[in-house]
Amino acid sequence: MNRQIQTIAELDRVIHEPGRLMLVALLFAVERSDFLYLQHETGMNKGTLSSHLSRLEEAGYVEVEKTYRGKVPQTLLRLTPAGRKAFEQYRRQLRGAL
Amino acid sequence: MEQIESLLNRPKAYYNIDGVGELAGGFMCLGFALLMWLQANAPKESAWHGMPVFIIYMGSLCLILHYGPKAIKKHITYPRTGFVQYRARDSRWLPAILSAVVAAAVSAGVAIALRGHWNLTTPASLMGLLFAASYAYGFARTVRWKWAVVCVVALGSLVIAANPAALVGSLADHSWQGAFILIMTLYGVVLSVSGGISFWLYLRHTEPPAPEAQ
Repeated sequence: MNRQIQTIAELDRVIHEPGRLMLVALLFAVERSDFLYLQHETGMNKGTLSSHLSRLEEAGYVEVEKTYRGKVPQTLLRLTPAGRKAFEQYRRQLRGAL
Repeated sequence: MEQIESLLNRPKAYYNIDGVGELAGGFMCLGFALLMWLQANAPKESAWHGMPVFIIYMGSLCLILHYGPKAIKKHITYPRTGFVQYRARDSRWLPAILSAVVAAAVSAGVAIALRGHWNLTTPASLMGLLFAASYAYGFARTVRWKWAVVCVVALGSLVIAANPAALVGSLADHSWQGAFILIMTLYGVVLSVSGGISFWLYLRHTEPPAPEAQ
């Protein structure tokens, strides 16, 4: 198989999905953010965003922390070291394939 | 790939989504301009020339600049468009060394110019053009209407350079500080107006969400 095609085939499918790719890229650039910020930046609805975040959490890429801002519930999200590593590798592979 | 890189830059641009970064910058420049003007025009025996007043003034300015934007973010921005905690820089040494080198170069330039009794209107205006370029890189790349701000700063700097040195110096008892007071006032006013417009647009286009939405 062509090496470039093989690289594309080896891309991390959890990250490669466009919605999740947006989330991982946004979280990669910050220490942590809340659910509302991700919703605002991506334009996703709550259901879609929750579903993508659950998938990333299952893969061990995102850490979810439920807390309160005053009396208002707040969901804080952070990319785990494994998530950072996976995203860096994804970028390297994509660059190599293009 | 470019889209991914642009996504990685979005959190940086988010810091000034409400114009608070510019408002803080404008406040700082106006604060410096006011202090320089007071020191240049107050009588020699005035408290404005004393160290205690200088420390109190600068301390108050720093406190407002530190806590003001934080308060706006906490009470207005985060409830509307979300909270972001930025990553600490991997290396604090490089920016610190760069800042020290730039500060030393500027100080040396001013000292040489003063010794030679040069006209400082031109260097101050060149600083303005440099400021316009860094503003274009930092803010105008992401928000198109802010190119108008870049043009105003660049034009304003050229107008200051074109003015007779005596006229500019008259702002500060005919001393070299006149050009810097003028350029600092220009930055301060432009940044405050631009930040104010951004803040107004932000409030207009965003609503605080219902508590359960967060």
